Amino acid sequence: MKISVRRQNLRRVAVLVGALGLAAPLLAQAQQTRQAASPAAQAPAGGGQIGNEKSFPAIASGKWTGPRLADGQPDVQGHWSNTISNHSNFTDPNLGAPGDRRRGDLPPREQRAPSRVSDPADGQVPFQPWAAEKVKEFQQYFANPIKPEYIEPLARCAPGGVPKSFYWHGYEIRQYPGYVVLLFNSGTRIIHLDGKPHLPENIKLWNADSRGHWEGNTLVVDVTNNNGKALFGRTGEFSSENVHVTERYIFDNSNKRYNYVATFTDPTVYTRPFTVTIPAKRWTADDKPNGWHFETNLANHDGKEKILERDERICTENNGGFGNTAVTARK
Amino acid sequence: MKNTETSSAPDALPRRRALGASLLLAVGLIASPLFSGEVLAAESAVSGKIPRLANGKPDFSGIWQTTSAADYDLEPHSNRRDAPPGPGIVEGNFIPYLPAALEQKKKNFANRETADPAAKGFALGVPRTVYYPEPFQIFQRKQDVTVVPQFGHAVRTIHTNGTKHPAGEAKEYWLGDSRGHWEGDTLVVDVTDFNDETWLDRAGNFHSEAFHVVERWKYLDPNTIEYKATLEDPKVYSKPWNISVILHRHREKNFQLIEDYRFTLDYDQYYPPKKP
Repeated sequence: MKISVRRQNLRRVAVLVGALGLAAPLLAQAQQTRQAASPAAQAPAGGGQIGNEKSFPAIASGKWTGPRLADGQPDVQGHWSNTISNHSNFTDPNLGAPGDRRRGDLPPREQRAPSRVSDPADGQVPFQPWAAEKVKEFQQYFANPIKPEYIEPLARCAPGGVPKSFYWHGYEIRQYPGYVVLLFNSGTRIIHLDGKPHLPENIKLWNADSRGHWEGNTLVVDVTNNNGKALFGRTGEFSSENVHVTERYIFDNSNKRYNYVATFTDPTVYTRPFTVTIPAKRWTADDKPNGWHFETNLANHDGKEKILERDERICTENNGGFGNTAVTARK
Repeated sequence: MKNTETSSAPDALPRRRALGASLLLAVGLIASPLFSGEVLAAESAVSGKIPRLANGKPDFSGIWQTTSAADYDLEPHSNRRDAPPGPGIVEGNFIPYLPAALEQKKKNFANRETADPAAKGFALGVPRTVYYPEPFQIFQRKQDVTVVPQFGHAVRTIHTNGTKHPAGEAKEYWLGDSRGHWEGDTLVVDVTDFNDETWLDRAGNFHSEAFHVVERWKYLDPNTIEYKATLEDPKVYSKPWNISVILHRHREKNFQLIEDYRFTLDYDQYYPPKKP
């Protein structure tokens, strides 16, 4: 008898997803409580065990002295994750999601991890007034989403999109001649290094359309065709479908860390461009999988080398929300 | 539960393409957009030689799609409201269902409009991803072959590093667990550890969690792959059976995958917030 996560999950919720009026309260429950299903997933609300750096090193763009692939690209393949909390709160990562009851136990703001908005200096997204109102509204109703738009899209198994995918679960980078491929917990990005033009602008995608090139230790990516639907986290910050993002993935020559530094420009929603900075660290076979930032298996083989493997990611099929992986071993 | 014998075919010597690549590197053209898989594949097409990795194994990198009507129905079928006619891709024409399974197949067929997992945007699984009528992209390294479908979100990894299926009790994956090895220039992939959720086509052909697939991927020429698979499932079929499709390389200028997360369409309208 095989047991899979699928059978333990609330499949019946799926039936209701189409009827959104009915689905909203159930999904609200998912937003608040579904993570309790797995011990490892309980940590994220305030940061806690899933990575809680209070600060992180700056990495300068410059020469790459680390390993290279045969095609000349810096070899940064492997398993990576954010080092500060998760998607619960975009500008105050340790604070947790709107309505999180653990907020009272936290140290004052200046002792918590910095905002992911590194410019402007106040750490806030420079929203136009109407957009700031929308974010406030989303946060107000996050714990009680009386309308479908107050559901964080990840709770519906939507792709994490840009930039949220980088501070949700861990992810894998694979590289090929002409491509860098990012395999996230929900969604995949294929970064084209071959200089072909972007898609026609009326095509809008959850993971946007990416064109990149390497400048020394830095992967520079031009990101367009974003549908703006993914939101930046459970605090509801967002862009429109007109957003233009320039990403710089600045890799440390130790090949153990990189910083994601991205400029968001969107005259529909913001008063000025702003910069998002997300620190990332590498995970290796010497690390223990932790159910959040580092979710891998060791391959079954006759040799002694530890070979990491990544399970398929399934979500909408299980109706589990929040990126349940496909399976558990049967007992 | 079977484990694949992972044969270690002797590594072929690196071919001329690898040498050509090193020369390109040597003259500092590495950042050039010309240095891409597509161009190399096109060069190979001219020379009639299939693309190869540096280790000499065939390199299936590229964007592929079948022109067959297999996904409408693996078996021979006349036209109907939701399908063009097709000769089928099953060797011997028909799937050798056990009697009870045939009844289930008929029910699936009757309910296909809503019961087909693909209609919900779910993972297509194996082998359906290969002949679903949307492109998929293969990314290949020495140690693995990554299959990214345009439809859905489920990325498949075929391990070609001599590793085996997971030890211990079986798992239930939507895509199964794929372990490949080379027999000459043919990539042979043993796939086990399935769940019973995916369909084989939109006509309701199906399998149980006892499903076992052995795929054979082989270049016919630099832009054409012959894909064959043997499908067995003692709970559903009376004997193993075979399918075969031809996959064509997409060579249109600037062709790329365009993500198709069909399952988000129900709630797309609610995001992002709109300016009042």
